[in-house]
Amino acid sequence: MSIETPVTVPLPADTTAAGPPKRAEGGVMSRPRGVVVTVIVALLALAWLFPLVWAVVNSFREYEYTQANGYLSFGGWTTANYEQAWTQGNFGLHLRNSLLITIPAVVLTLWLSSMVAFVLARFSYRFNLTLLGIFLAANLLPPQALLIPVFRMFREIPLPFFMSDSGSMLNSFWGLILVNTAFQMGFCTFVLSNYMKTLPHEIYESAELDGASVWRQYWQLTMPLVRPALAALATLQVTWVYNEFFWATVLIQQGDKLPVTSALNNLRGQFFTDTNLVAAGSVIVALPVLVVFFALQKQFVSGLTLGSTKG
Amino acid sequence: MVTMAATRRSVLRGAALSGLAVGSASLLAACGGDSGGGASGSGTTVKFGMNEAEGSGPAYDRLKAMAAAYTKETDTKVDMNAIDHNTFQENINTYLQGAPDDVFTWFAGFRMAQFAEAGLITDLSDQWPIDGMDDSFKQAATAGDDKQYFVPASYYPWALFYRKSVFEKNGWEAPTTEDDFMALMEDMQGKGITPIAFGDKDGWPAMGTFDILNMRLNGFDFHMSLMAGEEKWDGDEVKLVFDRWAKLLPFHQEDPLGRTWQEAATSMGKGESGMYLLGTFVIDAVGDAAEDLDFFTFPELDSSIGADALDAPIDGFCVAAAGKNQEAGKAMAKWLGSAAAADAANNGADAPMIAANTGASTSTYSDLQKKSVEVVSAASNIAQFMDRDTNADFASTVMIPSIQEFLKNPSDIDGITASIQEQAASIFG
Repeated sequence: MSIETPVTVPLPADTTAAGPPKRAEGGVMSRPRGVVVTVIVALLALAWLFPLVWAVVNSFREYEYTQANGYLSFGGWTTANYEQAWTQGNFGLHLRNSLLITIPAVVLTLWLSSMVAFVLARFSYRFNLTLLGIFLAANLLPPQALLIPVFRMFREIPLPFFMSDSGSMLNSFWGLILVNTAFQMGFCTFVLSNYMKTLPHEIYESAELDGASVWRQYWQLTMPLVRPALAALATLQVTWVYNEFFWATVLIQQGDKLPVTSALNNLRGQFFTDTNLVAAGSVIVALPVLVVFFALQKQFVSGLTLGSTKG
Repeated sequence: MVTMAATRRSVLRGAALSGLAVGSASLLAACGGDSGGGASGSGTTVKFGMNEAEGSGPAYDRLKAMAAAYTKETDTKVDMNAIDHNTFQENINTYLQGAPDDVFTWFAGFRMAQFAEAGLITDLSDQWPIDGMDDSFKQAATAGDDKQYFVPASYYPWALFYRKSVFEKNGWEAPTTEDDFMALMEDMQGKGITPIAFGDKDGWPAMGTFDILNMRLNGFDFHMSLMAGEEKWDGDEVKLVFDRWAKLLPFHQEDPLGRTWQEAATSMGKGESGMYLLGTFVIDAVGDAAEDLDFFTFPELDSSIGADALDAPIDGFCVAAAGKNQEAGKAMAKWLGSAAAADAANNGADAPMIAANTGASTSTYSDLQKKSVEVVSAASNIAQFMDRDTNADFASTVMIPSIQEFLKNPSDIDGITASIQEQAASIFG
């Protein structure tokens, strides 16, 4: 399941719910047009949802049954796939790994990028724009292009054995947390600095007059005010870092340290793959993201438009 | 799952804590790993990387049983690192250049020799000969410099599988000559049964068909030098293979590119197809029909070449050159090839493997496995399967799409072979 899917699904659904606008006449969206739009959007939503629903439905069916009768049949219902996926995939351990990677990475990303953003937004240095440009440019680099340099660098960086039993950044959560932080900082800095620029300048002038230090202006003035932005970013970042697959697969070579997205592969055999079992595993892996998304939907949607008005 | 549901509030509070670096540090120190480091007390520790995820089935159980038996026998602690098969294989390059385990599971053939040449795996020639290991297995463990870098553990043959009951009901018999084979397939078609099940959605299963046709039509030696990049892909020999394949295609299931091997196996299991050319792992996908399966090797196509070669990929163990504990790793690798290791593995799992060591007990084997042993011992030449016998990049980026192109458009043999040759020239240099 791609990262974007859960983000995109509710958009058409939202529009559907809004329905045709309540304009009496002559508007851009007259009643017949509204109906057409609703139908089109509903169809699109269905097209988006279909693969997901299909996977969920088949995750509740026996492989033997679907293999013998085809996927268009009806029957063979079971919940055994979920039990088997949970034990065979060892998801308890791998979800814990994901947690140990995601939480520190998100916290670190938000903390560091809020400090950079604060400086970029509140002080005018000659290189402010350049700096922001560099942060953004790094965002455009595909991680695949950096694979070999990062891999070699991490191999050469020694870590004491109590931090990593390989003695280097490879095979340790530290490496993954750092890589995720580095890759997410560009976006967070951009969004946060734009948001901070919208805070009225006068507040800072009065803070200055009251003798607040720069640290205090950051910590006690700016941070409380950007809470909505931080909340939106935190939800986005949790899903992104949690869904991250590439770096974990490359930098972790110890089976019991893989995060849950990579551990999904545990359900595939060398030759034989029980697709219904994999569907059940995918649902389990996707569930935390869906929970985060539905619980914090409001922040999510506001997060999508963050920084889009000023730059 | 539940643990993931960190609320927005707690995440934010975490962000708000100035001492967060300290907080996450202690969080992480807890998962730095449990290894106490290298040697301790009486026994040393060997790190053992295995290409089967924990709890993934008999293959994992066998490796685990081997590790336990080794600890019991030699007082060496074995630190297991279980990674799922596909991830392990795809990451093997970064694995070997990063922080590999001392001993790890791998394959015989070109895939092993490539790493030997690159200096990524350790020379094991001082551990050979291994008791009970035949010459053909020693050959399979030898790289280009005539030294052994590999210890074989098990193998499985590729052959034409069929359901005994279906053959009995129709009065068919396993063919031994090309004429019998063709007659059998025509009879099957006449009775509304697709003669050969076929699926190539994943790209690799059809390589088995190419391998066997090439070995039957051009011989084992040509096949191996073709795989090594020493023969022309656009020569008459390869064209002959594709040509014969095109003639056999009408007897195969149609539209193979839309079908996985599991679906093809199911069609044989249900009796809709008569035979299926695959490895013995076909039994995993046929359900209850597994008991009813039997197989025969692909019949002779050219009497001057015979039918004494087949694909029988060998799995086994290598020692990583970057592993920290070379001597202990070598000793363990040698032991893993012993009859005792094979017996420990087969007694510790529901389904046994076919041991490479001739001294291993065959009492746990199924009928199919007993027959596999006979067939493979009778074969004078054993290939490892295309994706193990040749450059891995060539197999996956050139041969998979080329064979799929051929299956889509069997008439354009000249174009396809020319394109393979062009790409082969750039890969093999």
